[in-house]
Amino acid sequence: MTAAVRPSGGGQLLGRVRTLLAQARDELDEPADQETVRDAVVRLDEPLRVAIAGMVKAGKSTLLNAMVGEELAPTDAGECTRVITWYRDGPAYRVLMHLSGGGQEVRPFDRVAGALRVSLGRPTDQVDRLMVEVPSRRLRQQTLIDTPGIASLSAQVSARTHTFLEADEDRPAQADAVIYLLRHMHGSDVRFLEAFHGDDLASGSPINAIGVLSRADEIGGCQMDSMDAAARVAARYHSDDRMRRLCPVIVPVAGLLAAAGATLREQEFRALATIAAGDMNDVVSLLLTADRFTSGSTRIPVLPAVRHQLIGRLGVFGVRLAVQLIREGVATSADDLAKELFARSGLSRLNEVLAVQFVNRAQVLKARSALAVLDSVIRGGKHPGLSAAVEEIRASAHEFVEVRLLHLLRSGRLPGRPEQLQEMERLLGGMGASAAERLGMPPDTVPAVLMAEAQESLTRWVRVAEHPLSSREVRTAARAAARSCEGIVATLSY
Amino acid sequence: MTSGRDDVELGRAGRSAQLARAVLDIDRVRGLAVESGRTDLVSRLDQTRTRLTGRDVPVAVVGEFKQGKSTLVNALLRTDVCPVDADIATAVPTIIRYGPRPAVIAHIAGPDGAVAKRAKVPFERLRDFVTRGDADEQLRAVEVQLNRRILSSGLTFVDTPGVGGLESAHGNLTLGTLPMVSAALFVTDARQELTGPEVEFLGRTVERCPQVVIVVTKIDLQAEWRRILDLNLGHLSEAGLDLPVVPVSSFLRLLAASRDSAELNTESGFPRLLNILHRQILSGSDAAAARAASQEAAFALAQLREQVSAEQAAVANPEAGPELVERYGEKARRSQSLAAGSAGWQTMLVDGIQDLSTDVEHDLRERLRALVRRGTVLIEQGDPRETWHEFQGWLAREATAAAVDNLFALVRRTEQLARDVAERFDLEFEGLDLDLPAPTVSLSGLAGPEGRFEKRSTTQFLSAFTAARVAVGGLVMFGAFGSLLGLTVAAPIGLAVGLTVGRKLLRHERDRQVEFRRQLARQELQRYVDEVAFIVGKDSRDAVRRTQRFLRDEFANRAALAERSSAAALAAVRQSADLSGHERDRRAAILDARGRELDQVAGNLSTPSAERDGASR
Repeated sequence: MTAAVRPSGGGQLLGRVRTLLAQARDELDEPADQETVRDAVVRLDEPLRVAIAGMVKAGKSTLLNAMVGEELAPTDAGECTRVITWYRDGPAYRVLMHLSGGGQEVRPFDRVAGALRVSLGRPTDQVDRLMVEVPSRRLRQQTLIDTPGIASLSAQVSARTHTFLEADEDRPAQADAVIYLLRHMHGSDVRFLEAFHGDDLASGSPINAIGVLSRADEIGGCQMDSMDAAARVAARYHSDDRMRRLCPVIVPVAGLLAAAGATLREQEFRALATIAAGDMNDVVSLLLTADRFTSGSTRIPVLPAVRHQLIGRLGVFGVRLAVQLIREGVATSADDLAKELFARSGLSRLNEVLAVQFVNRAQVLKARSALAVLDSVIRGGKHPGLSAAVEEIRASAHEFVEVRLLHLLRSGRLPGRPEQLQEMERLLGGMGASAAERLGMPPDTVPAVLMAEAQESLTRWVRVAEHPLSSREVRTAARAAARSCEGIVATLSY
Repeated sequence: MTSGRDDVELGRAGRSAQLARAVLDIDRVRGLAVESGRTDLVSRLDQTRTRLTGRDVPVAVVGEFKQGKSTLVNALLRTDVCPVDADIATAVPTIIRYGPRPAVIAHIAGPDGAVAKRAKVPFERLRDFVTRGDADEQLRAVEVQLNRRILSSGLTFVDTPGVGGLESAHGNLTLGTLPMVSAALFVTDARQELTGPEVEFLGRTVERCPQVVIVVTKIDLQAEWRRILDLNLGHLSEAGLDLPVVPVSSFLRLLAASRDSAELNTESGFPRLLNILHRQILSGSDAAAARAASQEAAFALAQLREQVSAEQAAVANPEAGPELVERYGEKARRSQSLAAGSAGWQTMLVDGIQDLSTDVEHDLRERLRALVRRGTVLIEQGDPRETWHEFQGWLAREATAAAVDNLFALVRRTEQLARDVAERFDLEFEGLDLDLPAPTVSLSGLAGPEGRFEKRSTTQFLSAFTAARVAVGGLVMFGAFGSLLGLTVAAPIGLAVGLTVGRKLLRHERDRQVEFRRQLARQELQRYVDEVAFIVGKDSRDAVRRTQRFLRDEFANRAALAERSSAAALAAVRQSADLSGHERDRRAAILDARGRELDQVAGNLSTPSAERDGASR
């Protein structure tokens, strides 16, 4: 048995990668390559890079604002984001523009109705990306990257996102993981996901995309049961083989609702309360359509300008929901309403999924990215020793093995009974990296119980691995599952 | 004259003043033909009349996935027919037309792909049929008959599948049906501006369909819909597409219907859409049909006039009798040869068809060959095991695109051929009269309206080549093309999974396996493309055969009519030789009156245009 592997954190893995990177820096002679490797080392210590991608108007910028908890990325009725924009934690607000030819400059900005309006001062094709530094706790865990929508009428604009996210011969992927916003399962979406997904099994298949069924409130026509309808649609996509391979989880989120919930203002609540207090017929009539709400004449004493602002911030569904909640007495204050809106937006579930799929797996994802960077500089067989070392880590690091197996499992390519496969997925960390999550037990379970369970699993899986009638694939997978069990046992023994 | 006709049929014609006038014209000429004992002309006019009154004006509703097409159709009809839900999508085209009693009919394809069976389906199962579209049932389309006023004018709506979106195989099939419909409503919702794929699809729609209207839906849910509308207008003008754009809310329309509220109905934006449907689409289509009918009437009148003129000439000038007999005999002979074997137009038709067939086949082969090349490149780019699913989708999509484009080329070439043959026939037809004495020369001092039916040359046969499109298009409208969707690209990758976990990567082993899978993939690609070629080729040939037969019969029929006219003229001239002077005068008076009547009817034949008529509701 090789050295114990910690199932969560992957600290050892990262250590090995760091060592290898140092070795590479010494061995490589091109200064450009050395620079690349140095960047890779720095990146290992930075927060995880999570890109938000999707078709035009899918709701990316709105979601980003909701996740950070403040209005940053500009949103608009027409297509908006045209340049790749990174949002990271920093001591103060600052906007740095990186130029296509190299070099960077600090740009002035102001906040228009909350959102950042940056003056680029040059045509967009000269800009490689914008780096926005924001003092934000939430951005310490991950750097968020807002991308221009794909399938834009301006092919050029969409191309930037493609180039940015797809790995190719010369450049490894810039992001470690992707939150992909879908409104429906469109051909463009699938093609894009495939491209980002890549298909080189040897590099450790990426389970690094989460699907978000965005603008979920609009899916059911902004009727009160829209979120339920959205959940049904998400479930159906989840059961589609092709989607599951590309996006293991799909979460319905109403970004606007979440953003409103995170940033609701007192006067907005008061306006909504005034509306809610109106005569039933007046209220129904006002809420019938967006036009009526914004500019229709009504006896309810809320100005059209205020109403216009409300609907811009909450959307039709948000306004209807808010009024209903106030009328029913569920939300009696701005705080209450904010909490309710946020709770129903689906964002908390997204955060949970993010934690399981990305944050807790951050080390593995970063290690993978680093190895990909290394791959790109040692092409051409000029450094056989380095290549071999990269291969070795990939093949042997149990974290990568787990990731590969999970991919195969989710593609439906491992034979086995459904319960067996489900248990395997859990053990390999597909539902969470902690010992309890891997064993499928509640989080507060006593270590002794966990240990017993782990050992029992281990025995069971070793038996499967050694059973003469199991197929080769199953035996290999079972061996890996057993290894994971060993890892759990090892962690619990510390 | 109108006895025994279904009220509804007249109802359709009744909606449009121009159609009504056209029907009256036909009826009048028919009466004259009956009086003259020309049963052949009578039956031809009957056919024309049926085409006028029984005509469908199909309007396709197209657009991306989930933009509100089905809801729009429901709103137009003011009733819930097309199944709508957040979670499902229309999978099979739904044709909605008028029927006295509500009925649902499933169009099911037979083993050869063409629609064979029409099975009645209970209304409650409609939703299942429309949303499943399963391949083994060979379901091609679902037809729903409803008793709604908007349909009684002849408007027929075709709700197209949104499944897979515009860029899918379904999207391509929808494009394929467009040459067959009178108009298309392109639906996009107000939640976002037109995307790249939408504008591209619009461009291809406009190429194929005579009238296209853009409908922006769901304005009730978007505060910013006016901005979106402006943005869309900008995108359209950039793309060089000058199309009407109508913002609507289907929700408000349906609400208005349930509450019977005129105010809500106006707010829904539907009155403008209906206006366009009636004044532009329906009226435009009616104008074309009325034009064709008018030409049929003119043709029939010309035949009748000829007989009268010949007799008039013989009666006025008895000495010219033998000469007239000879001339009309000659004409009869010539029209006979015009109908039979070796007339110039027939040679042109046969040669043209052959050229057309060869070219279209070649075009298809080229497209498919290019498809195989592109597919091979894609296969080489990765491991088929990973990419197979996506590859299948790509292949199905590209294959249908190739098939549909090939069909479109066929339709265009056929139209051109029909036009050429019509011109040729017309020349030869006119040539029949080259040395006949003009009636006015032999008649003495006859005042009266000039025969107002100058030979209208090629336009006389306009209906022939508009109909040619119909003959070809029958193929596409849910015919064997639907079976293209059922064609499966097999998955040849049921191989050992070959996990490469473990300490050492067996690189060689892995590469070998990948290459093996690629080879299987290439074979599968070729097999699929061969099947597509087979199906499309067969359909093409059928379509071409149908067109050839149609054109041949059409012109042969006309020539036969001319022959009969000549024979009748001949008989009349012969008869007049035996008349005494007194009888001759009497006969001349009768003929005179008859000639004037015919001239008057010809003069009063309505010249249709896209006139404003009908009322918006």
